[in-house]
Amino acid sequence: MIAPFLESCKKAVRERCVRHIRQLQSVFGAFIVNLLEEETTVEATQATPVKYDMEVVRWFTIAAAIYAVVGTLIGVYIASELAWPFLNFDMEWITFGRLRPLHTNAVIFAFGGCALMATGFYMVQRTGSTKLWSNGLAWFTFWGWNLIIVSAVVTLPLGMTSGKEYAELEWPIDILIAVVWLSFGLNHIMTVAIRKTSHIYVSNWFTMGMIVMITYLHVVNSMAIPVSLTNSFSVFTGVQDAMVQWWWGHNAVGFYLTGGFLGIMYYFVPKQAGRPVFSYRLSVLHFWALTFGYVWLGAHHLQYTALPDWTGSLGAAVSLAMIIPSWGGAMNGMMTLSGAWDKLRTDYILRFLVVALAFYAMSTFEGPVMSIKSVNALSHYTDWTVGHVHSGALGWMAMVAYGAMYHMVKKLWGVEKMYSEGLVNVHFWLATIGTVVYVVAMWVSGIMQGLMWRDYDEYGTLTYTFVESVSAMHPYYAMRAIGGMIFNLGTWIALFNIVMTVRQASALRSSGAVPAKA
Amino acid sequence: MGYLGMDVAAMTTNDWLGVFFVLVSAIGMVAVYFMVFRPANKSAFESQRSMALDDEDHINVGEKR
Repeated sequence: MIAPFLESCKKAVRERCVRHIRQLQSVFGAFIVNLLEEETTVEATQATPVKYDMEVVRWFTIAAAIYAVVGTLIGVYIASELAWPFLNFDMEWITFGRLRPLHTNAVIFAFGGCALMATGFYMVQRTGSTKLWSNGLAWFTFWGWNLIIVSAVVTLPLGMTSGKEYAELEWPIDILIAVVWLSFGLNHIMTVAIRKTSHIYVSNWFTMGMIVMITYLHVVNSMAIPVSLTNSFSVFTGVQDAMVQWWWGHNAVGFYLTGGFLGIMYYFVPKQAGRPVFSYRLSVLHFWALTFGYVWLGAHHLQYTALPDWTGSLGAAVSLAMIIPSWGGAMNGMMTLSGAWDKLRTDYILRFLVVALAFYAMSTFEGPVMSIKSVNALSHYTDWTVGHVHSGALGWMAMVAYGAMYHMVKKLWGVEKMYSEGLVNVHFWLATIGTVVYVVAMWVSGIMQGLMWRDYDEYGTLTYTFVESVSAMHPYYAMRAIGGMIFNLGTWIALFNIVMTVRQASALRSSGAVPAKA
Repeated sequence: MGYLGMDVAAMTTNDWLGVFFVLVSAIGMVAVYFMVFRPANKSAFESQRSMALDDEDHINVGEKR
């Protein structure tokens, strides 16, 4: 009774999606034609075929490449505003305060989210030898997620914000996020449930851990009393509000930006290196250690505040303990290249993945050190924190995402090589240099800020005024903007390379010279 | 010692819930370590090492040529 109904629903959604794609086709031309061809011609060629729903993965991949350009471009603009304030142009919509949450939402949820959903749907099908539980639901996730992104683009510059860091969107959009995220989670978990393999690969565990925890974190952190459609107040107040905010904030880092992307690492590093993962036992331990440990860390963001002293100490202690599984995981990824290190000379995609692991190791050491109270007294509220975040976001998250995206593009469009392997290498160096310039600028700026703010003269008064510390930051803010520009240039090159690869695959197919599967 | 002191009589429901989850997490973590590092389980875990590579055997059969 229910099964035929669900099947008819799926069929209707699929037909509607194809209709929408055909409408878009008339607007975007050959690029969309290529996507559509892939969708409608998937077929089995052997006796025991495994059909995959990869069309939605293709769209998520392209969306991720576009959002990376947009998100980092906004970041470059607001970094430039800090260095050269006239760029505000006295327009409230483009001030740092309005655009900063748009930047963070764009890179974390638009770029990062699309990359996670693309790879999540890709890995769960391939490691489970099964198609998605519901292709229609996957398309609902795609369009719903993009609707959320558009909503953020409209509301945040207009100043509609809940004021919660990394959760600025107002309550109607929060509800939409919960619904769409649950659709992604349900589809992923049900696809695991219908897998044809006996074992659930560790990457899927990381993705499912992320799904469960982010659902829980998002719902609790976003609980609010609505005043109007565009305004609400958190149900938490005072120190509880701060604690819930950072319980969400750090676990978004832990389960989304770390756990989710570790799932990518454990699948795509062995894949690209052509070597089995160094130690599967260590990967299992890595997953459970992060799952049990990460939830305790949030309080380290609130050292020297109204929060009870012991909570900050507990957060710092567990943060330091987390170095062990984090480094164990990073080494596990690195050692997967045993016997294949020579590939780094020629395999530019592998370079992305390995450098990402280096930044992962560095960030997961730096973070715990910054949580120690004596270090935190210097680092907190300074640009050092900004540098730390970007070493993780650019060096780890973006690098591993691009490694996975390049790998998937070749598989998804059935080409042996990218349009230009040289441009992948150019992108790699721009991303690496841009990240290093950015992070170093913020390290120097942050430590200088901290030292200036705590410096006393012989009479016990502050040596520097706050504005003097702001003035001293100018060269580093300019340097940060330049680092961001370099990184952003790399994202443009990646987008160009991916689009040209898709077009090339389309041209090959229409000429009858079908590209071989990688 | 005062820093680590625990006034049981003053503990609220939330405090007890916190204690419960701390203990569950700690015991769970010990159980995972035991399971993963138990020599008898090594071959069972490591037999999955190449799972990501193995899907090449069947990936191409469902995709467009």
